[in-house]
Amino acid sequence: MTARRLRRHGLGVVGLFFTSLAVVVALAAPWLAPHDPVATDFAAGLKPPGTPGHPLGTDQLGRDLLSRVLYGARVALFIGFCTVLVTAVAGGLLGLLAGFFGGWPGAALMRIADVQLSFPFILLALTINAIVGLGLRNIIISLSAAGWVVYARVVRGEVLSVKQRDYVQAAAALGVGRARTLFGHVLPNVAPSIIVVASLQFSQFIVAEAAISFLGFGVQPPTPAWGSMLSESRDFLYVAWWLAAFPGAALALTALGINLVGDWLRDVLDPKLRI
Amino acid sequence: MRGYFLSRVAQTALVVFLALTAVFFLVRLSGDPVLLFLPMDIQAKDLNEFRQRLGFNDPLLVQYGRFVGGALHGDFGESLRYKRDALGLVLERLPATFTLGGVALALTFLLAVPAGIVSAARRGSIWDYLGMTGTVLGQAIPGFWLGLMLIYLFSVRLGWLPTGGTGGPAHFVMPCIVLASFYAARVTRLTRSSVLETLNEEYILAARAKGLAELVVLGKHTLKNSAIPIVTLAGLETGQLLGGAVITETIFAWPGVGRLTVQALLNRDFPVVLAAVFTISLTYTLLNLLVDLLYAWLDPRTRRESAA
Repeated sequence: MTARRLRRHGLGVVGLFFTSLAVVVALAAPWLAPHDPVATDFAAGLKPPGTPGHPLGTDQLGRDLLSRVLYGARVALFIGFCTVLVTAVAGGLLGLLAGFFGGWPGAALMRIADVQLSFPFILLALTINAIVGLGLRNIIISLSAAGWVVYARVVRGEVLSVKQRDYVQAAAALGVGRARTLFGHVLPNVAPSIIVVASLQFSQFIVAEAAISFLGFGVQPPTPAWGSMLSESRDFLYVAWWLAAFPGAALALTALGINLVGDWLRDVLDPKLRI
Repeated sequence: MRGYFLSRVAQTALVVFLALTAVFFLVRLSGDPVLLFLPMDIQAKDLNEFRQRLGFNDPLLVQYGRFVGGALHGDFGESLRYKRDALGLVLERLPATFTLGGVALALTFLLAVPAGIVSAARRGSIWDYLGMTGTVLGQAIPGFWLGLMLIYLFSVRLGWLPTGGTGGPAHFVMPCIVLASFYAARVTRLTRSSVLETLNEEYILAARAKGLAELVVLGKHTLKNSAIPIVTLAGLETGQLLGGAVITETIFAWPGVGRLTVQALLNRDFPVVLAAVFTISLTYTLLNLLVDLLYAWLDPRTRRESAA
């Protein structure tokens, strides 16, 4: 048992390392990057890794790959963070209200959730994105519109059970107002679930953004997003493997780190939760 | 059981209908597809005539009524790009998606369920450790990147496999690996935790105390009781395979519904988008319905709960 706990702990630390690394890179990209990520240099196009001045090589337009990968962390984490914030607040609040007050608005909300869940997440986000349009802001809107249901569902379920607990009943008996009961007694008890869902959703959003940009929607070139870089790399797979290898590896390591932190948080905060 | 079944069917129909309605209004409010398909220097008169012919000039509610009326007969209009019946176009691509999904699903379960069982039964061993490391990596590696790397290794460098398209069994290898990679990790993890949970039950202790062989305890007493969460996940994941298919089919130029949907979205070919939404949400909800029925059959307790 101890061994297992230690191993889990160990993985959590590994996750924390990769997550912190991604955060530091995202914040410090302007100081870490050797070149401007969108500056082209046609004379130095498609240079392999190890070229002097370009440790990871250059792309078809001569842009420095290392700089683009570093800036890509910025784009990915920004989108992931904004989306998680929007979905956690909106979905959490809706779930809280639906669970606490119930009635027909709660039932209607859950039906909407059912409709959304009758469609694969990635396809839903992609369809919404194709309709609302491209760009950074719209990809956040699309992912949020597709992703809030998970919070609403989990939080509503939790609230339904917390509502029955003695301390909530006691608060009601003591004449505590409904708003104060909701935010003072119910919310703190469902907060761990919200945190766990948010940490597990974070990497899903980052990967989904990359996938959508990869398919030609979402973030558009020349913005250095990992997904659109991978999309462009397809045309050069025969001559420049590094264009596909490095942005994807950065994406995979970031997702790995955040997943491990999410697993860790779940084990500590809410071991019963299964999503 | 019959009442339960009927109410689930009604629910399925409602869900598909609401999904179509939502997409219809989003699509109509998002812009004018006509402009994309006509030359830039077109006269306003011709443009208007074209709109009139396609019915884009009518009030939105009239258009919606016409759409619902058509959809009830399976008529989603003509593809703006291919000039053919949109639903027919989608249904034509369905077998390719199902074949790929079926093979990938079989591959997932053939690999993931045994791996999960071994991990649980030999908990803490090197196999458990390897299996869990594999699932952690599998969950983190994005499918479309895996696809690119596989193409680079097996098509570009080694020249063993075709980069995409359909044909012989060789065309299946990479798309199946990529599609299965989306789910194998989750199925392995769930199998492991489900088997571990069952192994803690008292009837397993009783079976062991009776002196039953470990293989019998595992095969007969544990697996049957761990099957329910796995079946549930199987159903949910089968639906999610449709989402994975979008990416996989696009990378490998697989002529399925996923690739058609992406192309239709890129071209703003809305009749095809709506027909695809209809087909995908119907398939997805029907699969979930099937799983629920299987669930009720496996575990009679859920029947009473859902009836209450």
